[in-house]
Amino acid sequence: VAVLATAVVFAALVAVFVVSDGDTDVGARSPLLGAPAPAVVTSTVDDAPFDLARRKGSWVVLNFFNSTCVPCIAEHPSLVDFVADEAGRADRAEFYTVVNDDSDGAINGFFAANGGDWPKLRDDDGAVAVAFGVAKVPETWIIDPNGFVRLRIMGAVDDGVLEAQMARLRAGDQ
Amino acid sequence: MTAGVRRLAWVGLLVVTAALLVFGSVRDSGPLTQQDRIDAITQRVACPTCDGESVYVSRAAAAQAIRAEVARQVGDGLKTDDEIVAYIADRFGGQVLLVPRGSGIDALVWVLPVVVSVALVAALASSFRRGAVATGARSRRAQLVVTVVVVAVVGVGGGVLVARQAGQRLPLQTATGGIEDSTASLLAQARLAGPTDVKSAIELYARVLETDPDNVEALTYRAWLIMLSARQFDESLRQQAYASTITALGRAIELEPGYPDAMCFLGIVVYRDGGDAKSAKEFLDRCLERNPPNEVRGMVESLAAEAAAEVGG
Repeated sequence: VAVLATAVVFAALVAVFVVSDGDTDVGARSPLLGAPAPAVVTSTVDDAPFDLARRKGSWVVLNFFNSTCVPCIAEHPSLVDFVADEAGRADRAEFYTVVNDDSDGAINGFFAANGGDWPKLRDDDGAVAVAFGVAKVPETWIIDPNGFVRLRIMGAVDDGVLEAQMARLRAGDQ
Repeated sequence: MTAGVRRLAWVGLLVVTAALLVFGSVRDSGPLTQQDRIDAITQRVACPTCDGESVYVSRAAAAQAIRAEVARQVGDGLKTDDEIVAYIADRFGGQVLLVPRGSGIDALVWVLPVVVSVALVAALASSFRRGAVATGARSRRAQLVVTVVVVAVVGVGGGVLVARQAGQRLPLQTATGGIEDSTASLLAQARLAGPTDVKSAIELYARVLETDPDNVEALTYRAWLIMLSARQFDESLRQQAYASTITALGRAIELEPGYPDAMCFLGIVVYRDGGDAKSAKEFLDRCLERNPPNEVRGMVESLAAEAAAEVGG
């Protein structure tokens, strides 16, 4: 009986390995996926007020960023292209940088040198990062027009990834 | 020392140990200061970006952000320590818990030691009996079965009790995965229901207003959906809906002058249902100045041009 039981468990284990297709998606896991986005009430580095709850009705992309982080710098051209691509759409996604452990001066300097005229949100005490569970930057989150979190991307995004993910989400795919 | 006395000594030892464990687990350690609470909570959470450090000791940016969030939530005084730890674990994942959960696979951390302990005690008891009484094979088999069952029941039961007492609870999680009934959740559900099930959406917004009468989003969207629904009814009902919608949108604007949606809907309703192009144009212009979200902007832009043409003409 013991040998049979061991064989069954071993066979089940092999079956799991064979059937499992691995985690190859762009999106990372988060308990927030499919849930209402956390509250984000802050200001931009230009001192304009920002409340995420008031952006319902638009797709919102939040990119957690630090001007000294190498992957953040590496992905920046892809983000600039994405925002330019979205600008022509009636239902364009609103793009926001969430400043992570960085100064207004450094942020303004980086964007002046590298482009990107979208709003940059302050997160001086890290409350926004904690609310989204962001430990390392860069991370990119997509929130749908109903205010639900739809996608989390950990690490730098490659060219075309955000465009493809937005197209998939707009088409209603999960 | 006789066998009877030795057995009594072992039983006494077990009773004292159990009593100490119970006392230690249920005793009230007295009131804590806010800083004590912050320290205690951050000692229970691992820094998500460093190896083997708690948030309490780590200087990493992520740990500092978590510590600030813990301090803020402790300062708010609305959540228990367990709820604050659960909030952090909910965002960063269970791997940041330095005290494992008392549920799911994590509970084995608590259950298994108790099972092993009980098994060892049973083995010890069995060794006392060995050779003491000569019994038949059938009786020994029965004794073995009873021992195994008792070990299993006591071990697992004790382990579960320990897990429930010592393991980290996640009070915000529900077994069914249902959405908690918070204002944010009700607003999100209303938003989802809105386009296809207007009645449910209106009810959900009304539930938000029961607990938060000044919720600007609920005031705005409930009024807007009521007006949309009323358009299919007779003039008298439409007039009533118009009056209540204008009042509610006016209240929302009074509460939050910068909220674009309320201003936009006011412009649309005044134009479409009130027939006042001049006032509507003013509201719609203010709406566009407030940078409305795209769904609302799409409704407003053409209407603003239409109202402007009417006013100009």
